[in-house]
Amino acid sequence: MTTLPETGTEVPIQLRVPTALDLFMFSASTWLLHRIHYDTPFTVEHDGHPGLLIHGPLQGVYLVQTAESWLGDTAKISSISYRHLAPAYLGDQLECGGIVTENDGAGIDLDLWVRKSDGTITTTGKARLDKR
Amino acid sequence: MGVITDEARSWAGREYPTFDFLVTATDIAKFAHGTGESNPIHFDKEAAIAAGYDDVVAPTLFPYVVRMHASALVPTDQLEPDGSPTVDVPPLPTRRAMAGETAIEFGERVTAGDVITVRKRLADMYEKEGRSGPLVFVEMEFTFTNQHGAMVARESFTRIYR
Repeated sequence: MTTLPETGTEVPIQLRVPTALDLFMFSASTWLLHRIHYDTPFTVEHDGHPGLLIHGPLQGVYLVQTAESWLGDTAKISSISYRHLAPAYLGDQLECGGIVTENDGAGIDLDLWVRKSDGTITTTGKARLDKR
Repeated sequence: MGVITDEARSWAGREYPTFDFLVTATDIAKFAHGTGESNPIHFDKEAAIAAGYDDVVAPTLFPYVVRMHASALVPTDQLEPDGSPTVDVPPLPTRRAMAGETAIEFGERVTAGDVITVRKRLADMYEKEGRSGPLVFVEMEFTFTNQHGAMVARESFTRIYR
């Protein structure tokens, strides 16, 4: 029987650098129609952003994937919460990582984050994964 | 203070019409590619069966796809100029929205062939004074069930208008 990582274990960092194609595919597949994710002139001239925004929910997916790909078949995610603290833009290199905050034998709690290369945290989250 | 009018406040507790989403293998593959998934259980029925599922299995956050369609699968004249849907938003002085916080618990996995029903409720609405003026917080609750009545996910999502 496998055991899950102990409290204090760091989640291996995954680097995600979504392209304009990735942003469009996420918008299209979710039917998230907000133009700030695919229409550069609108985003820059109308909304005053420096470029296309990386979707908050896509960063939520990155958090889930960071936990799931680390633990593989040994655990199953039962809940996640996350909030967005700062915008992330097309071209940003997003490091996704975290730490085990609790291992109670039945599963683990994780603190997770998405961080830009300048250190700005764009999204933080908490997840619970139960042992399979 | 007081940007939430009585009319807007009357939206608190509102339940929206339910929305049914027939999940195809194509929907799952699109979302999986759109999020960079490479696990064959999302693309290949044989691989999914070998992993113990009945059919290709959706990535964990697929319920998000369901609730976005429930809000935004409308004629274009029911969309704001920025592309966001108008129908589910209470009448607030600003429609400039930011994603706030979401909390999801997961139940049964979604597989191809499922019909996912999402129930949506505007649970609460409140305002706080932000650095650049009032912020209105709108808290939505979503319950996702499959065709067998099993809970697929429950989500509480707060959107911030400024």
